[in-house]
Amino acid sequence: MSAQAKLITTVVLLCALGGGLAAYKSQKLGVPFWQDQRVDEWLVEAKISFLATGRDVKARLALPSKANDQNAGQESGSLGYHYDVEEELGESTAIWSSPKREEGQALYYRVRFKEGPVSGGEAISPIGEPIALEVPNLPGSLGTAARSIVEGAKGLSEDPDALFVTFFKQINSSDASQEYVLVKRHYEKESLAFPKITMGIDFLGMAGVPARLAYGVKLNDELVGQQPLPLLEYFDGAAWKVRDPQEPSKVLDGRDVFVWHRGGGPLLEVSGGVENSKVTFTAVKDRIPLSRLTDLRNSPFLVSTILGLPVSERAVFRYIVLIPLGAFVVVLMRNIIGIPTLGTFMPVLLALALLEIEPLKAILMFTFLVGAGLWFRFLLSRMNLLVVPRVAACVVIVTLLMMLMGVVSYQLGFSVGIKITLFPLIIIAWTLERMSLIWEEEGKRSAIVQVSGSMLVAICAYYFMKISQIQYWAFYFPELLLVLLAGILLVGRYTGYRLSELIRFKTFSNA
Amino acid sequence: MPEENPKEEDAARSRWWHRWFRTPGELRELGVVGINMRNARYLLPNNPRRLYELVDNKLRTKALAEAEGMTVAETYGVLRTPHDANRVEKLLNGREAFVIKPTRGSGGKGIMVIDKRVGKNFVKPSGAEVTPGDVKNHVSNILAGLFSLGGKRDYALIEYRVQPLELLTALSFQGAPDVRVVMLHGYPVMAMLRASTKESDGRSNLHQGALGIGIDIATGISVHAIHHGRPVTHHPDLGIGLVGVQIPEWDTILHMAVTCQEMTGLGYLGVDLMIDRTLGPLMIEVNARPGLAIQMANGIGLLKRLEPIVAEHQRNPAADLAAKIAFSKKHFRANLPPVRE
Repeated sequence: MSAQAKLITTVVLLCALGGGLAAYKSQKLGVPFWQDQRVDEWLVEAKISFLATGRDVKARLALPSKANDQNAGQESGSLGYHYDVEEELGESTAIWSSPKREEGQALYYRVRFKEGPVSGGEAISPIGEPIALEVPNLPGSLGTAARSIVEGAKGLSEDPDALFVTFFKQINSSDASQEYVLVKRHYEKESLAFPKITMGIDFLGMAGVPARLAYGVKLNDELVGQQPLPLLEYFDGAAWKVRDPQEPSKVLDGRDVFVWHRGGGPLLEVSGGVENSKVTFTAVKDRIPLSRLTDLRNSPFLVSTILGLPVSERAVFRYIVLIPLGAFVVVLMRNIIGIPTLGTFMPVLLALALLEIEPLKAILMFTFLVGAGLWFRFLLSRMNLLVVPRVAACVVIVTLLMMLMGVVSYQLGFSVGIKITLFPLIIIAWTLERMSLIWEEEGKRSAIVQVSGSMLVAICAYYFMKISQIQYWAFYFPELLLVLLAGILLVGRYTGYRLSELIRFKTFSNA
Repeated sequence: MPEENPKEEDAARSRWWHRWFRTPGELRELGVVGINMRNARYLLPNNPRRLYELVDNKLRTKALAEAEGMTVAETYGVLRTPHDANRVEKLLNGREAFVIKPTRGSGGKGIMVIDKRVGKNFVKPSGAEVTPGDVKNHVSNILAGLFSLGGKRDYALIEYRVQPLELLTALSFQGAPDVRVVMLHGYPVMAMLRASTKESDGRSNLHQGALGIGIDIATGISVHAIHHGRPVTHHPDLGIGLVGVQIPEWDTILHMAVTCQEMTGLGYLGVDLMIDRTLGPLMIEVNARPGLAIQMANGIGLLKRLEPIVAEHQRNPAADLAAKIAFSKKHFRANLPPVRE
């Protein structure tokens, strides 16, 4: 077969495979193809992890009441564990048990529900049992201070809602009265898990309002493996209500927070001599109905299994699937348009760095760092250093410059510097070295042209990767990357003129 | 070549947009080859990766050329280790003029030319003095891979400083002009002389402002010249006319270029030569990725020559050196201006 025929066959095969899989997923499995058709569902995953020490293990995780909803779906993942759900007085608990476990263990529980204003923290009437009021016993001056605070608040209003707001506004505020500071210091010394909330619960108890700890999850795609969000549940005389002590005057919005556990009991209990037990949550907006997901996971296609990964693992792919898109943009810009860049894939790396920092800030930062770094680099070159020490010196200088930028921008009130990570550091140090070499060898014009070219390509790649429909396809239809691959292969055989060559050869004159 | 094609006439005609660009159609009519086409059609199929080593390493290219009986610049010494860098002075053995270059350099990077000595110091062609310490540092940089392809560790080569013919130095502002011949399947395609200007600072890279002077393959007479892509007739700094200059020993040059193709096995390549006052043409280096500026320098699209060669190569794959040179000379003869005396 000629090279041409091979290429065409490969391209057709790739398109058929990628397109076919995508069509199958959207037509048969019901994954919406367009982003705006999406079902706004949240998938919240609890991941219990602990270190088993060889004894029989039993883990109990309190489950959200929403899990019992008609519209919601749930499932648990736990290889080799016996799994059961226990229900008591409208509260359910998942129980995993297994004999003789060793080493690190991970158990998963997933809940899925439609996005909406209902957070699960709405007022509910008490069931059965009488409400016991716990009044804490604070000794001496501490007790006096606490009583004075409570009396003061009750003097304003006896209403439980108002008391809750008053207490927590004071607790959160930075210029609280002497009495608050005194009591707060006591609670912080006690080294409780949530000193501020415990303090609020005690105040409410002293004021005659029963209160207890509840747990929620922030509905934010970007927080992977978040800690349980401590919330407070209190009894207003007729019903229990859950509120966020950080924002006392706001009713919980089901679009921001999901109440995982209320009712007072512990969130997680692990028995069996385990160490480091903890539960973390990951929330992702999911676009595939749960009923379909199981089909998808059982489907034989390897590419579909990315959706079968635990949510916390899957979130990593959010960035990884974007890299091929950036590479595609680089191919177009270099081979069709003909923009010169520093190295081939440096613009992709830059574009990824842009995704981490805002583009405008990133460009300013990059320009500053490259400019300043280049100046230092020339100072170094006067000393006639060998190559490797010189690159190392560059890295040290760039690190110091970044720290300087971080401090300065923090003091000026920007938070640019804070997010600078290892990744941009390496890119910038490397850019400096390449750029200064080109500067010396081919002149400053060439160096500036190539660096600005890289920046331009990086910005194009960034905006391309930023299109939410593109991100959606890359994440939910990764098989479409095969079609992209076919496109790249086709560009690889493009023998026509680059756009820049139309300008380069404009003065072509026949001899 | 007779110009009868009316479409080509059309493409050559001046249009308002030529100030900014030319359309792809026009460039195709002119036979201009772009980077993508060069790579996909000529480089990739004809230059297997494994052969690149032969030309990317100047030591190997020189060894091959010497085995073919070709004249090359004499090697004074090769510095391989940092320890060798301290022995530069000894290796030079009191020589007045020499060139230090990386064995794996590209595009003229890292080449240091020394014309003479003044006391302990060395003098570059520009008149600038360098100390023995500077020379040692330069060697260290070469050894560390500063100038080599891909930044690999490298060796430094010390060799004979070519004394170019006055005829050629007259065309160049400092620096020695070199002759490049581009070949496909061993057929000479196009040739040009690269002469430096004040702007290019002794270097012969066209995009740094050096002059590209197209040479007629059949006769070795210069026919056309460009500076920054625009046609010129005189050297911008020296004022000397650039067209109508006869390059001496042209047949030897073509013969050497074709031999270079045979010894490396590369299908598409550029051979760089210099002409010494006493030694005649010397092979300097072979380039496996020759640029496209040569078609601007000659005022002829490369495709107009590459296509007949591909056809001829298919018709007659076993042609020998003489037949190939004869073919190129016959078919690629330019409309000559009168020879300048």
